Amino acid sequence: MSADDLIARYNYDEFVPEKFETQMSFGDTPPLDEPAPNFPLWRLEDGGETDLAALWSANAYTVVEFGSFT
Amino acid sequence: MNNLAERFADRKVGSVFVYTHEAHPGENYLHLTSIEQKFRHAAELRDQLCVTRPILVDALDGACHRAYGTMPNMTWIFNRRGRPVYKANWTDSVSVGNALDDVLALPRRRREGKRLTPFNVERVEYRENDREAFYRGLERCGPKAVREFKAVFG
Repeated sequence: MSADDLIARYNYDEFVPEKFETQMSFGDTPPLDEPAPNFPLWRLEDGGETDLAALWSANAYTVVEFGSFT
Repeated sequence: MNNLAERFADRKVGSVFVYTHEAHPGENYLHLTSIEQKFRHAAELRDQLCVTRPILVDALDGACHRAYGTMPNMTWIFNRRGRPVYKANWTDSVSVGNALDDVLALPRRRREGKRLTPFNVERVEYRENDREAFYRGLERCGPKAVREFKAVFG
């Protein structure tokens, strides 16, 4: 799958099962109490780049909620 | 979740919101096609829904979100070493608060001489589901979002 196809698939244009259900894969996610994968993220405040590791290393525990406006 | 973040902020607990993709794209908030649009939508979330936690924007292809399950509103808790201690496929502040209370009690329990051994547990929890509030949110997205949701879930 090309990068453009991946972006289009992830950012589906209509809420229909064949577009959103096929992406949900919570059962295959990183296991508890094992090192989790790190990813870059960008601060809304100033657009600067950071990553998950920088977030979780800043506190004893870090709560990460995933979501969107819609 | 904002209140929860404030409640635990002085107990060495950080809280952030990662902006993913539009779960219910509509006429007012189209599906994402650029990172600039994604930042604009994240700002709308912050301003209209009064999210006080730091907001981080994921890549346009959702690399982080996809690696953690692509659920529309899930929550994870990581310890300082980058190991998840809690993951839920939906966000419920009561559940998250209970999990934080448990892990934050570990040092005290150890000081009391308890020998603690980790184990994993899976369980089904139940959250309060305010369908009217949910539909108000969908209406904000536009009629298309309402129509598509009703077509799937009634």
